[in-house]
Amino acid sequence: MNFVGKMARRLTAQRFMALVLCGFLAASLSACATRPANSQAAMASTEIKDPIEPVNRAVFKFNDVLDIVLIEPAAKVYKAVLPGFVRDGVRNFVRNLDSPIVVANELLQGNFGGAGVSTARFVINTTAGIGGLVDVASAQGLTYRDADFGQTMGKWGVGNGCYLVLPVIGPSSLRDGAGLAADTYASPVRIISRNTDNDWFYYSTTVAGAIDTRSRLIKAVDDLRKNSLDYYAAVRSAYSQKRRAMIEGDGTGAGNGAADMADIPDYDAQ
Amino acid sequence: MTTSRLFPSSRFFKILTACAIAIVIAAAPLMPARTAHAEDKDAAAKSFIQDLGDKALTSLTIQSLAPDERERRVRKLLTQNFDIYTIGRFALGTYWRQASDSQQKQYLKLFEDMIVQTYSRRFADYDGQKFKVGGAFSGGHNDTLVKSEILQKDGPPVHVTWRVRAKNGGMKVVDVVVEEISMSVTQRDDFRSVIEAGGGNVDALLKKLRSSTGNAAKGGDSKHG
Repeated sequence: MNFVGKMARRLTAQRFMALVLCGFLAASLSACATRPANSQAAMASTEIKDPIEPVNRAVFKFNDVLDIVLIEPAAKVYKAVLPGFVRDGVRNFVRNLDSPIVVANELLQGNFGGAGVSTARFVINTTAGIGGLVDVASAQGLTYRDADFGQTMGKWGVGNGCYLVLPVIGPSSLRDGAGLAADTYASPVRIISRNTDNDWFYYSTTVAGAIDTRSRLIKAVDDLRKNSLDYYAAVRSAYSQKRRAMIEGDGTGAGNGAADMADIPDYDAQ
Repeated sequence: MTTSRLFPSSRFFKILTACAIAIVIAAAPLMPARTAHAEDKDAAAKSFIQDLGDKALTSLTIQSLAPDERERRVRKLLTQNFDIYTIGRFALGTYWRQASDSQQKQYLKLFEDMIVQTYSRRFADYDGQKFKVGGAFSGGHNDTLVKSEILQKDGPPVHVTWRVRAKNGGMKVVDVVVEEISMSVTQRDDFRSVIEAGGGNVDALLKKLRSSTGNAAKGGDSKHG
């Protein structure tokens, strides 16, 4: 192998994507730091600051078109063609591959109970669950929990930074985008795939996971699209609420604490 | 010496003990009564949501229902069981105070139409989901948060929490939280963005609401918004 060939091989699509992501984050960081003059209005508009709203809206529109012409139809075909147990197998397999990252984040959050559950799930599902295809651990009461580095930083007290719509990936924030980059960089699946010249494995599981997730959100996305006046603003609001709940809530996603809930004033009492 | 030094302090403790006993005796009848009351309230809110779910599933999901008839039924159920004034006022956020009486009136009417149409669409798309009420807990004011799950044929259960407010002897829903996303907050942020894009004028929202609810002709606005 000559040097140039090696270099060319190393500059794979994932490196290119990482470069694009880093560039995007860096560009937004400077945008976040130098807020426009009408920042008062921008800050009042939602829980999450959105100083680069025009850029975000453009990327959002691009993602929306991409979703309508490609991703949603693919998710619909996936849902129509494959029986439920196969789709569950895809979800379980991809989730299981992601377990080491979940465990690492739970440890970084000091959530040792959660890390124990996630580790047990990984061991049980990888062995008894045939490489992660079957979620046998759930039947034992070890239910799935998600954790990511954006959430970890949130628990450490790092703020959102500002709202950020990532190309293809979708709603994020400066903090969560950086978290995603870190999770991706640290992913054992990505590292092992690359080091064994099996990049295809990392890409195909990532794409399969994305299509599977999208196939489970068909109704929810449809509902928000139809029932909002400004779809962009509604998604931004939903994203910021969901992330806040993931950081401040108990992590089960079921909204167990009154603290997670928005307070609706009693107008008659005023 | 030691006794004279100990004496006042032991009397002090006697008084303190007596006080403590008095407080416990005075508070004792209150404590079980309060928890019993809270339990009653939780149970009442849970059965309110269970009833609401049952009614909706039996009367609104019939496939053959004409769209007008479905809307009529949804409107009746919503106005009876949802505090539309509170939800609508919350969703307008700080712009409520800026709006004139006439704008507030128009807005509330359009807001009701909007949520009636939203729920009508949802029930028209009904696909065999089942409704299961879970636990309940107190949520401030006179509110009870009732947890529930919508069980789908294909897909994970959807967690929905209902904020139920005790009011004038009855109960009304003031917020619906789907997977930790408050519908009222989402709507408030949605509306705020529309108003800001329209230069901070509530009319921009009214116009958009009119066209999205099919009230454009009645409102006297041009259809293009």
